[in-house]
Amino acid sequence: MNTVLVVRSLISGIMMGSVYALLGVGFSLTWGVMKVINISHATFGLLGAFIAYTLLHAWSLDPILSLALSAPLLFFLACLIYRFIIVPITKAKEVIVASMIVTFGIAIILENVMLLIWSPDPRLLTTSYTSKVLILGPLYFQYPRLAGFLMSLAGVLVIHFFLKKTYMGKAVRAAWQQPDAAQLYGVNLQRISMITFGLAISSAGAGGVAMAFLYAFEPHTHNLWLIYLFLVVIVGGVGNVLGTALAGLIIGVITGLSFAFLPYQWVNLLTFGLLMVILVFRPQGLFQSEV
Amino acid sequence: MVTPDSKSRRLVFWVLVLFIALAVFPWLGIPVYFVSLLFTVFLYVILATSWNIIGGFAGYLSFGHVAFFGIGAYTTAMMINGFDLSPLLTIVSSIPAGVVSALIAVIVGYPCLKLRGPYFAVITLCFAFVVDLGVKNLDILGGPEGLWLKSMDLPIDIIRAIFFEVMMLIMIFSIALGIWTSNSKFGAGLRAIKEDEEVAQTIAINAPKLKIEAFALSAFFPGMAGGVYAYYLTYIHTDIVFDMMISILIVLMALFGGGGTWLGPVIGAVVLTLINEGLSTFVRAEFARIVYGCLFIGVIIFMPNGIIEFFKRAKGVPPG
Repeated sequence: MNTVLVVRSLISGIMMGSVYALLGVGFSLTWGVMKVINISHATFGLLGAFIAYTLLHAWSLDPILSLALSAPLLFFLACLIYRFIIVPITKAKEVIVASMIVTFGIAIILENVMLLIWSPDPRLLTTSYTSKVLILGPLYFQYPRLAGFLMSLAGVLVIHFFLKKTYMGKAVRAAWQQPDAAQLYGVNLQRISMITFGLAISSAGAGGVAMAFLYAFEPHTHNLWLIYLFLVVIVGGVGNVLGTALAGLIIGVITGLSFAFLPYQWVNLLTFGLLMVILVFRPQGLFQSEV
Repeated sequence: MVTPDSKSRRLVFWVLVLFIALAVFPWLGIPVYFVSLLFTVFLYVILATSWNIIGGFAGYLSFGHVAFFGIGAYTTAMMINGFDLSPLLTIVSSIPAGVVSALIAVIVGYPCLKLRGPYFAVITLCFAFVVDLGVKNLDILGGPEGLWLKSMDLPIDIIRAIFFEVMMLIMIFSIALGIWTSNSKFGAGLRAIKEDEEVAQTIAINAPKLKIEAFALSAFFPGMAGGVYAYYLTYIHTDIVFDMMISILIVLMALFGGGGTWLGPVIGAVVLTLINEGLSTFVRAEFARIVYGCLFIGVIIFMPNGIIEFFKRAKGVPPG
């Protein structure tokens, strides 16, 4: 076997994986903390990517800088959705299933709005550094991938330290572990949930931009991203930020290696099959779950 | 259901009149568009009614039901192209298509039905993607080019009318299955599973067996319908018969009308198919889907038990 090829696919796998992790943490948090499975999570990621694309072409704004604009927008949108769509369903008998159906609706609306605005053509985020490559010996690092990798690393670490170190983050964790006790200690559950949801959607936007550095995208792409989300979150354990990050890396390495050794069209089949197998044998994830 | 005898007799009479009117419809020389619209309505009634057996009665939301429809379509296509079937056998061959779908449902259902709630929804969603990609990657199934079917040696009007009648027949059987389920011990068992699976098992309900049976039944009619649909189009492609949107529409139709009743999915399928076809034809497909998305949200928030319950309650009739 070709060692250089293996190392190259490992590296590209780790880079892809970190991006899956950034896309996945928010999904994991809303599922774990709020008991809401947000099917539209990847769709918001895609919206972030499209906003970055438009800003890049209109003002030649760097995709990473465009987040300064799109993240607050997504946060605001998420708060509205939380208030008017998520809150009413929290009284349902099975919140988690109801949330899946409702957010399916949001995903369909958003997908078709994007189709109307941006048409179904596949897009690429082509920046000034797209074709630049960092060469270290026999190894190649494409700049856009490096940018996606660093962005994802920073994003996941920020979310991790937010949850571990800040008061707000501790409140989120408390709300997840002991909702009633947390309320006794003065944690406003509704407000915490709204902020969690907003942060999750904003991080999805960042994850979407990072994904757009790696792959071409069009308004239907979120279906594929959604499967990656489920895979990463279920492997990593629901609500577990570091588990999700680790799972992202594992999935990334697996896909990276299979891209190198399998025909392209079999890779997704392998990924989906893997998710089915894991769901059947270990639906609780591979790692112990904790926020 | 206790109804006065004369009232139920009158109801049977009107239902018969409706079915006879539907049966003669394609022979009246009405524009093709309307015949094909009605054909689509039948198709969605079959899909939603069948989905309801596992999704509505048992509460196991399958988000991948389109897989069974597509499997039926491909089974039939392979059979027509593999054997030289006479026109009559062509129609009958949708039955093995249903059987293949049901068998696959048993095999897939065995591990998958152990999962509950969201996990079941995710695994069925994933299953539909796997089947779609698998078929796309297999060259003997036409791969990414799709499959052409030999069409029957008859005038196109007659062929269309025949398929119309066959689809209607399947629809009648699937509705009958729905009615039987809602009144039988089988249906009561499924309702008990939906309410609380652990409790159901303590009162001697064999939940795993019932769930598999329900899943297989709910895959059988979509498989048959897929077979008929494949002939009707004479060309099938994974993007058509494994379209994710169909899976989602089925769920919405059943929930819109009211899952767990036999009438709900029928009403949901009729209303939503007409809205969808109307908007897609006269406005834009994207708008039709945006309306769908809004309906998903509206149904869950404002009428979680479906439109029938919603209107009953609005009129002051107690639920149940």
